[in-house]
Amino acid sequence: MSVLLKNIIRFVLLILFQVLVLDQILIHQLVNPYLYMLFILLLPFNLPRPALQLLGFLLGITLDMFSDTMGIHAAACVFIAYLRPFVLNILSPQGGFEVTQRTPSVTSMGLSQFAIYVSVLVLLHNIAYFCLSVFSFADPLYLLMKILLSTAASLVLVLIYELLFFSRK
Amino acid sequence: MRNLIIFLRRYFNFFLFLLLEVICFVFVFRNNNFQRTVYLNSSNGMSGKLYARYNDVQYYFHLKATNDSLVKENLRLHGELASSFDVRDTTAFIKLDTLRKYSNDTMRKLLSTEVRKFLYREAKVINNSVNREINTITIRRGSKDGIRPNMGVIGPNGVVGVVRSVSENYAVVISMLYKSSGATTGSNFGFSAKLRSSGEIGTVYWNGRNAAIGQMRDVPRSAKLHKGDTVITSGFSAVFPENMAIGYIDTFYLSDKSSTSYDIRVKFATNFYNLQYVYVIENLLRDEQTRLEDSTRNLLK
Repeated sequence: MSVLLKNIIRFVLLILFQVLVLDQILIHQLVNPYLYMLFILLLPFNLPRPALQLLGFLLGITLDMFSDTMGIHAAACVFIAYLRPFVLNILSPQGGFEVTQRTPSVTSMGLSQFAIYVSVLVLLHNIAYFCLSVFSFADPLYLLMKILLSTAASLVLVLIYELLFFSRK
Repeated sequence: MRNLIIFLRRYFNFFLFLLLEVICFVFVFRNNNFQRTVYLNSSNGMSGKLYARYNDVQYYFHLKATNDSLVKENLRLHGELASSFDVRDTTAFIKLDTLRKYSNDTMRKLLSTEVRKFLYREAKVINNSVNREINTITIRRGSKDGIRPNMGVIGPNGVVGVVRSVSENYAVVISMLYKSSGATTGSNFGFSAKLRSSGEIGTVYWNGRNAAIGQMRDVPRSAKLHKGDTVITSGFSAVFPENMAIGYIDTFYLSDKSSTSYDIRVKFATNFYNLQYVYVIENLLRDEQTRLEDSTRNLLK
């Protein structure tokens, strides 16, 4: 399957899963799991950075339309789309990743590298999102707990996603 | 000039990032100005249709609970029927009927006539959230059915929220679960309320923690409170009729010894977790009331 088609399908499925499943589940007031930003994390390495940011904006605004949070998801998505190349640069070995694998994954980056990459960007996304949506620092502990617990929930979901769609090729 | 172009090209990514973030922030803060973004929220055609489709499936699994709550509500309404007047089948059109009161003796003299003030319309909930800071409910009724912004919304058990924006077939309701900032002053989203037994006036807020618990403030220290007392709407706002249940007193305490008002924890009467049907209230005399109030205010200026 071509990379383009794969990413289009992933975009649609992740948005639908987020809107129809995750947003309907209520675990706790402090735990709002988000999985849809995995789309940005799994875009190909060689995608130009402007395209990356525009795709992030598109993803965020699509979810905003469904959850009545005009612009908040979009801001968080553009934020991590902008920071993604920097994180990848820091984590990449000398000479970059192997070119045979064109997308970030456990096989192309190694388990520990990929885990760090995902956790950092998911945490950044949640920080940006919850700071904007709570929009007050009057209760910093509440905000912090919300960010940390939601990040943990998101990471568990990413783990499940990786276990489900793991391919060795 | 050449240097400027080189500069722009070098930092193109960063400027694109700034541009996109600025667009996002404009959206975020425009959101308060709801008419302009009404097409980009869940009342627009695409997402509204998707939610309606999804809700058709989900609705099936809640039939039993919905049925139970409807039966219970029917029971309550039947109990009130004797003192009520003809409210059958008024959802489709407005009947400008009046309630006539007659004296009880054999003369049956006409004592007074009362004009209909509140009109109820049922609406199906197709999307609902409880775990955000500002929670919204999307309902399957829009401007075609006569829904307009700022109408009150109640559920089977009590107050639910206020209509925020309306499209042709859908409307978005801001539920009572709208996080207010910690300060007691400022622009907070609160509901004017009073206590049933003592009649003390206060305001009900939500602190963003638990979708079943709200806060009632501004109740003076002199008030006599007891646990389980019903908190009802005050009827001052022209949005809700008087005496609609908002919640029940759970606990109350004084935040410090010198404070002049109680902090009351209120258990919401409405269960926001399983809303299926709500009723939108139109105040038919509201325009008249606000017009009069505004003109008086202008006179006093």
